[in-house]
Amino acid sequence: MIENPRIGVYICHCGLNISATVDVKAVATFAQTLPDVVVSRDYKYTCSDPGQEMIKKDVKEHKLNRIIVAACSPRMHEPTYRKLMEEAGLNPYLFEMVNIREQDSWVHMQEPAKATQKAKELVSMAVARSRLLEPLEVKEVPALKSVLVIGGGIAGIQAALDLAEQDYKVCLVEKQPTIGGHMAQLDKTFPTMDCSICIFAPKMVDVSKNPNVTLLTNSEVQEVSGVAGNFHVKILKKPRFVNEKKCVGCGVCASKCPVKAPNEFDMNLGMRKAVYIPFPQGVPAVYTIDKEHCLYFTKGVCKICEKFCEAKAIDFTQKEQIVDLDVGAVVVATGFEPFDPSSLKEFQYGKFKNVVTSLDFERLISAFGPKEGKLVRPSDGKEPHRIAFIQCVGSRDERTGNIYCSNICCMSAIKQAVLIKEKHPDYEVYIFYNDIRAFGKGFEEFYQRARDLWVNFVKGIPAELVEDPDTKNLTIRAVDLVLGKMVEVDLDMVILSIGMIPPKGIQDLTRILRIPRGADGFLLEAHPKLRPVDTPTLGIFLAGACQGPKDIPASVAQAKAAASGVASLLSRGKIRTESSIAVVNEDFCSGCKVCISLCKYDAIKMNEKKGKQVATVSEVTCMGCGVCASACPTKSISLRHFTDQQILAQIRALSPELCQSSVTTEQVNIKEKT
Amino acid sequence: MQAIEKTIKLDPKFKYEVSEKPGGESVRHCFQCGKCEATCPIARFKEQYRPAQVIRAIMLGCREFALGSPTIWLCATCYSCSERCPQGVRFTDIMRVIRNMAVAEGKVNPFYKKTAEAIIQFGRTFDSPDFINEMRCDLGLPPVTSLDRQEIAKIIGELKVNRSKESLNK
Repeated sequence: MIENPRIGVYICHCGLNISATVDVKAVATFAQTLPDVVVSRDYKYTCSDPGQEMIKKDVKEHKLNRIIVAACSPRMHEPTYRKLMEEAGLNPYLFEMVNIREQDSWVHMQEPAKATQKAKELVSMAVARSRLLEPLEVKEVPALKSVLVIGGGIAGIQAALDLAEQDYKVCLVEKQPTIGGHMAQLDKTFPTMDCSICIFAPKMVDVSKNPNVTLLTNSEVQEVSGVAGNFHVKILKKPRFVNEKKCVGCGVCASKCPVKAPNEFDMNLGMRKAVYIPFPQGVPAVYTIDKEHCLYFTKGVCKICEKFCEAKAIDFTQKEQIVDLDVGAVVVATGFEPFDPSSLKEFQYGKFKNVVTSLDFERLISAFGPKEGKLVRPSDGKEPHRIAFIQCVGSRDERTGNIYCSNICCMSAIKQAVLIKEKHPDYEVYIFYNDIRAFGKGFEEFYQRARDLWVNFVKGIPAELVEDPDTKNLTIRAVDLVLGKMVEVDLDMVILSIGMIPPKGIQDLTRILRIPRGADGFLLEAHPKLRPVDTPTLGIFLAGACQGPKDIPASVAQAKAAASGVASLLSRGKIRTESSIAVVNEDFCSGCKVCISLCKYDAIKMNEKKGKQVATVSEVTCMGCGVCASACPTKSISLRHFTDQQILAQIRALSPELCQSSVTTEQVNIKEKT
Repeated sequence: MQAIEKTIKLDPKFKYEVSEKPGGESVRHCFQCGKCEATCPIARFKEQYRPAQVIRAIMLGCREFALGSPTIWLCATCYSCSERCPQGVRFTDIMRVIRNMAVAEGKVNPFYKKTAEAIIQFGRTFDSPDFINEMRCDLGLPPVTSLDRQEIAKIIGELKVNRSKESLNK
């Protein structure tokens, strides 16, 4: 202990958030009576500049050496006050925060008297703990200036480019044979009607040519360990049976390959060969052999591609490869998966040929799609003169479990309707909607443009589709809620505006990266307002639709934000480590290894010391979770900043009566001896 | 002035009354997409029958519109609407609640009134006419006898449906 504790206690009003429920003045007066408390005040906004100045002045005038602020969650402002401590010349670990907002005033709004009592108890616990706090050394370790970007869609590519431009070494991992993601599948983008591949292809080429970027396609991240600044990554590189360095992308192999398979990139509406590149602009321009369809792999015959390949790039002996990598930070940009509407029986997707999804439609009208940009319907290749869109398919629907709005479907349907009407003003186009959400820049104007082009907007989601078995024409039955009448429309084609869902494998990813998901299944940001691209794990950032449904500009903005987050974390080449970590008392350690089996972070190793095997905690890797400290049978591990004495003092302050009961006292005594 | 004014005075408490009753809880989730109406087999044949409008009337507080409408008696309880609703609104159950409330206020469709009276009187929706027993006799089945009216009266009394009976007679 440095010197006698002189504690300053500050009870924050948080405007009316706390003071409307808790009697802050009473709590401040109460705190004054607690041992070692020198100053106790209440203040309107303690985190504000004048609030912080007040604390600094008190530290000087009253020679305070410990500070307690009773306010919001430490997740919100503990870093703010730790910084203040340093400015006031105090060790940041001598600061203690009490949450009387989220854990008191907000949850006990109806019982102000009890809430005030609870605030007093929480403050007295904090004072008991504060008296025993010890200053901890703040350490810095070297941080690697390299980044792993997972996912090669628009968000991942943008983040990789921005980081590479700032001289970070980037490894961009994509599980498909080529990068591009869903943006590469789109025909046009709303509301500006830019040709999607025309604005995107140059970025794909840039990222592949940038000397700071290593592209790993057909690859998946298998393992991530370590901490911010020093992550260790294992990547599984699946065999593509074509040598990437030798293949020149001439396409002779595909032209000779006798096997046809549905092309996933074209939503299975077109065919590809067993040796293929998903789309002509694909990056890298390297072919891949699909093991499931290739005759050599299925029947042991053929190898015709090998015979014709002048570059000698075909290599049937390629094996899986594990790539090891050390990086300072990770950007997750794994995107979304389109909702599969076949589970919603009323829309008959997969049964009625002329019912397609909005993403199917993008491929149908794309210039490099299976129909080469000609608008024809799947059943008979005829031009569909009467087309309807159905909105909110798979979104805002309890039955699918997706109660969120997918953000993009309104504008995507309007875009597709405008595309149809611009080319074919004589076609009839209906959009059956529930709400039109045209919230973005230029969106409302775009909605207006669609009405100018005579797109029919019908308020009411259809519930029935009927197919004429001979013509394969469709009849939609819906209610126009404005008229209050049931209407029937005969159509040639129906487009389901499908929503976005979290991609398959996101569960594995959350396990590998130890990051959480929200109730909607997408990855969860650290704070919805102030840390929208951070995860709760330092050094792991989110970009694009993996965090929630998003359009292209939002994904790009988030990618740039994530890149900036990485840069501000790593640019100094050094990173602060957590000082609140586990330490081993080597005299007591019996070498039982219980701690090693429990440590999630691989932070504990056995070492020969003082003639025996003892546990040693890595200062860089330990996250300070405290599992080892609570499990250690000889009590030889303690967690700095959360020692047994500190915690027991808190418990005793809360309930002196409880601590008088025999069992507890005994336990307390045993722990205090060690 | 009042005689010609067509505005509806809203009753903001009405929605709570409906949602407090068993089956009425889900009414608040409706976001007016119209799928219930689009799938309703009755709405196809009776244009005055508008499920989405009934929900709207409840949520907005148009008490007379919801309880006084002759169309609330048309629901065939096929549950198609509940099946298709994306927000978990159990419209068929809400319709039952609305009908019960209408009955309590003495607003009963004459057809239902006749049915209810028959049950109170005979213990069945109708007393077995002679031709049915003739048909049963031809099929070798025993005749249906009339039920004991005193026992019916006792059951009706035990079931405490008297209140409804009074309102039926209103």
